[in-house]
Amino acid sequence: MTLHFLHRHVLEDHLAGFETRPNPNHVNVARRPVILSVLAHSGHEAAVAERLAELAGGSVRFCGPGEWLVAGPALLGEELADRLGEIPGASVCDQSDGKVLMAIGGPSARKILAKCVAADLHGDVFAEGQSANMLCCHVASNLARTGADLFEIIVPRSFAGSVFEELMEMGREYALTASFSED
Amino acid sequence: MASLITCPHCGTRPKEEFTIRGDAAPRRPGSADRDEAWYAYVYIRDNPKGRILEYWHHAGGCRRWLVVDRDNLTHEVFGVVDAADFQRTEAAE
Amino acid sequence: MTSYRLDAGGAINRAQALSFSFDGRNYKGLQGDTLASALLANDQMLMGRSFKYHRPRGPVTAGSSEPNALLTIGSGARSEPNARATTVELYQGLVAASQNRWPSLKHDIGAVNSLLSPFLGAGFYYKTFMWPAAFWEKLYEPLIRKAAGLGKLALEADPDRYEKAWAHCDLLVIGAGPAGLMAALVAGRAGLRVILADEGFRPGGSLLSESVSVAGLAAVDYAGGLVSELSSLPNVTLMPRTTVFGWYDDMVFGAVERVQKHVASPSPELPVERLWRIVAKRAILASGAEERPLVFGGNDKPGVMTATAARTYLNRYGVAVGGKVAVFTNGGSGYRTAADLAAKGVEVTAVIDARAQSADVAPAGIRVIRNAGVVATNGRHRIDGLLLERAGFEEVIGCDALAMSGGWSPIVHLMCQRGTKPVWSEESQAFLAPNVGNSFVAAGSAAGVETISECLRDGAAKAASLASELGFAAHGANLPDVEGEYDASFAPVWYVPGAKDKAFVDFQNDVAVSDLGAAQREGFRHIEHTKRYTTVGMATDQGKLGNVNTAGIVAAMRGVSPAEIGTTTFRPFYTPVSFGALAGAAQGEHGAPVRTSPLHGWAKKNGASFVEAGLWYRSAWFARDGEKNWRESVDREVLSVRANAGLCDVSTLGKIEIFGAGAAEFLDRIYCNGFLKLPVGKARYGLMLREDGIVFDDGTTSRLGEHHYVMTTTTAYATDVMTHMEFCAQTFWPELDVRFVSVSDQWAQMSLAGPKARIIMSRVVQDDLSDAAFPFLAARAVTLRGGLKARLFRISFSGELAYELAVPAGYGEAVADAIMEAGRDEGICAYGVEALNVLRIEKGFITHNELDGRTTADDVGLGRMMAMQKPDFIGKRLSTRFGLTAADRLQLVGLKPVEPEKQINAGAHLLKEAAKPSLANDQGFVSSACYSPALGSFIALAMLKSGRERVGERIVVWDALRGMEVPADVCAPVFVDAENAKLHV
Ligand SMILES: [Zn+2]
Repeated sequence: MTLHFLHRHVLEDHLAGFETRPNPNHVNVARRPVILSVLAHSGHEAAVAERLAELAGGSVRFCGPGEWLVAGPALLGEELADRLGEIPGASVCDQSDGKVLMAIGGPSARKILAKCVAADLHGDVFAEGQSANMLCCHVASNLARTGADLFEIIVPRSFAGSVFEELMEMGREYALTASFSED
Repeated sequence: MASLITCPHCGTRPKEEFTIRGDAAPRRPGSADRDEAWYAYVYIRDNPKGRILEYWHHAGGCRRWLVVDRDNLTHEVFGVVDAADFQRTEAAE
Repeated sequence: MTSYRLDAGGAINRAQALSFSFDGRNYKGLQGDTLASALLANDQMLMGRSFKYHRPRGPVTAGSSEPNALLTIGSGARSEPNARATTVELYQGLVAASQNRWPSLKHDIGAVNSLLSPFLGAGFYYKTFMWPAAFWEKLYEPLIRKAAGLGKLALEADPDRYEKAWAHCDLLVIGAGPAGLMAALVAGRAGLRVILADEGFRPGGSLLSESVSVAGLAAVDYAGGLVSELSSLPNVTLMPRTTVFGWYDDMVFGAVERVQKHVASPSPELPVERLWRIVAKRAILASGAEERPLVFGGNDKPGVMTATAARTYLNRYGVAVGGKVAVFTNGGSGYRTAADLAAKGVEVTAVIDARAQSADVAPAGIRVIRNAGVVATNGRHRIDGLLLERAGFEEVIGCDALAMSGGWSPIVHLMCQRGTKPVWSEESQAFLAPNVGNSFVAAGSAAGVETISECLRDGAAKAASLASELGFAAHGANLPDVEGEYDASFAPVWYVPGAKDKAFVDFQNDVAVSDLGAAQREGFRHIEHTKRYTTVGMATDQGKLGNVNTAGIVAAMRGVSPAEIGTTTFRPFYTPVSFGALAGAAQGEHGAPVRTSPLHGWAKKNGASFVEAGLWYRSAWFARDGEKNWRESVDREVLSVRANAGLCDVSTLGKIEIFGAGAAEFLDRIYCNGFLKLPVGKARYGLMLREDGIVFDDGTTSRLGEHHYVMTTTTAYATDVMTHMEFCAQTFWPELDVRFVSVSDQWAQMSLAGPKARIIMSRVVQDDLSDAAFPFLAARAVTLRGGLKARLFRISFSGELAYELAVPAGYGEAVADAIMEAGRDEGICAYGVEALNVLRIEKGFITHNELDGRTTADDVGLGRMMAMQKPDFIGKRLSTRFGLTAADRLQLVGLKPVEPEKQINAGAHLLKEAAKPSLANDQGFVSSACYSPALGSFIALAMLKSGRERVGERIVVWDALRGMEVPADVCAPVFVDAENAKLHV
């Protein structure tokens, strides 16, 4: 007997009613990203950071000293985990189902996020490529700047519905739309 | 409305991201230490007004324990370091 | 016609008429009006009744310090009481109503209070209503509350949206008058990130209301030019309609932006108000100065207002506040007002100057009376004349408005909110901003600077200096020439002697000079005592107009300098802030984040009722057709688990993945039992203590690899345990090689329990699950049929053969469905936390009901777990101290009611038979209770004094809350399968 299990995104119901055509301000919810926690063991922090900086195929998010999230497309799943697993002094653990990745982009992205996070997101302070853990809509999250007007939020799955709803509420005045992105 | 703490790992953040554990001065005694030392460590705290070293946990950020050197009356912050670094420095001294 | 709209002039749009209503009557105003200016343009001077005496009142200012013209704006759920008509921006369809009057503003029965005023003076409440005490609550207070008061709150829920936001800048400029505009411009041009916030709807401050020309332009047009340049700078954010109300730690300023308070029907896409937390590296307070009222008899009558207010209505709104205006002044502002009025063709009947001499000159044809004082005003709903006294002679002067000027007080409120008091200046005869360091400085009239040209210069200079401190190269602006300025200096007049009517210091709280005198005589001399005794400065305006006069008057009464009297404490908020704004979006279902389990959908479609557990929503029971109450469902679920199998969502348990060569040692130190020898592939129950020896939390930890573990915690303590572990790892033992991360959200975890659990699980998992291959406490990775990787733990919280299966969260629902399908023929059911609770009570398994922060391991019968041979673990040392090992401690026992159907409730206390309920007789309490369908009886777990020795004893369960006394027998805390035969099959 073989069983086939359907994978379900936690925001499936939240996104069901949305207009599919994106407005200039839009949230892309990654449907099946690969997200991995990487923990550097004591004494290996710098070496692991160095290896992560050269990592192909995944974007590295800083969480705290010796701790990162690495996000990549589903296709790379196993490969990414293997590559990370080869880094000496690092422990890797799958969080792909434990985290939800939302990319918010558009001319008003920063204005919307000013209602969700306390950190200063001015380009001089929080530059492209930068990331950090912070409260987003009252929930401990990771925020990364991936473009001038593009940010990615990684939130715990159990809170994702709450954060998503609040993000959309804060985006109302800028006609924020949302949809799944398949990559 | 707000107070800010500058986390050495994450940057400047509002107090909502932190939880305070209190005085960072007491050291956990060794298992062979006297009862008085354990009693003092677990139960006795000074309640100073003014400059104090406190443990703050960056629960909404890097989840590191920090030692914040601040004035608890004016909230003037003199320095914030990672608690592990603080411990190592203390041990070295 | 007394007050009226002029034919020309003013920063108003005459082409855009706006209709509005006041107390049911319709009026027309103009775009650019405030509600007050529009009412005055319609000759409506009477706008309210005072708080205590119900005296008729009109606006005394044209700004946010207004104590009198407080109206209710809007209707129904949107009605907002106590809005200052002087700051409310007029909009089409605005509905306003007066307050604190009945039956109407003109005929107010409460005005009888005014006749009683000799009895209603300072300290009146304290003196009058002392006796009999019982009368206070029933009679006096309701009467007083009815008679005195402000507007009424709407009782309906607020229909509008609110938001909170953060802003960050190099320089925050508070106030967009001449100093603020120029400061923002200099800083903006230098490249600083600038926020310019102003409480008004039109930036410009005094440039909008003064008749000077700046750089050859009318002041208002010059202001417009500055604003448009500022708007063009991308690094400058203009925030009109935004009141900076508080200065907090670390240069964080609180501000409220009225996004949609100036529209009749707010758009649902926008908040009506937005609360800002502005983080500024530097800030400039350019809040201007307040003109002080003069304190003379009858100074509160409608028509009496500050000279600045009269000038503002005239120049900014094109409204003459009267047809015949008198001026009472102690400085240049009065003369300037007379000149401006005269220039617009308004009759000025007299300029009464309190000073014996001055260099100020009134326009030709206007009578100037020096060395004189007003002692009374005539008229009821509006003044129709005044009585002045000069050198012992009295004279009546006809007027329908009186512009008064008592000098200037810099608005330093924000700078004094963090404990620093303002500083009295003999030279300025005012309290000036204190030195609060280089980060926050005052500029312009807030800093005691008088003229517009000086304000422009001061703003530019302060901004340039702050900019260079921050490393920016600031070039001073080309300061414009200002023509037609006047000398605003004054000689202090704290109060005018010979008053023939009440001379008010605090208009909003109806505090008169006589009240201040009473407070001094009766010993309430400290300014903070005077304040509380008389209520001066305690109204919603916080004494913006009256506090400095109070200090001056009290000083004069005591023959000292106001410096010795000082000011009362300044606190946020500068002006009132709505609760809606403070709550922001955190209302209703947005009150707190919600956590949902990956099996939430599965539970829902199986008919779950949910219970809130912290932020989680957990499935409590799964009602089926025909079940009349929750107990029926729970009983069925319990019996089904004991007989067949049940599936329960345990995803909410905390899960922590632990790595490192030091992980075993770390676990050994944070658990009281041993973990060094836990084999790979095995789970172990662990108990954590606090450092004081009390139990902290429990759970299982499984060893998945040599240096790899996964820990579970209770749902409630998931965060606390993680935080505790971080504290231990980072501060106690940073040398240990251990790293961990929460994976609570990664796994959907479900418990399949019951005699048929293996059969069912084997249909889903392809690994060999025989007892030999996968024995009790086995824990390892498995593969589901079809290939999905999962983790399986053979652990039980029910005493039955049970497995906990963890699958990646996204598959949780599908896997749970598959298990239900696989178990359908075996009689599987979904069960919730209620049945889970019954199953564990029947087995005597503990939860935080028992581990309530007071119990030791031994108290709950787990003393044997403590591995005292370990050199150290958290809580080891203090767990052995005398108090925690005493023989009469409360110990975990079971209870069975003598009559099985008698209910026992958690929280009930235990007594010896026939003992009276008392603290001394208290024997313990019930920690958990339920109905056990297996036994057909209520059962309970309890903490009983020396409980383990007392098995077999009959005691009484005393439940005062429900008025129940139930005799029960003490038994061992296990009711089902005491030999654990069902576990090892
Ligand atoms: Zn941090």
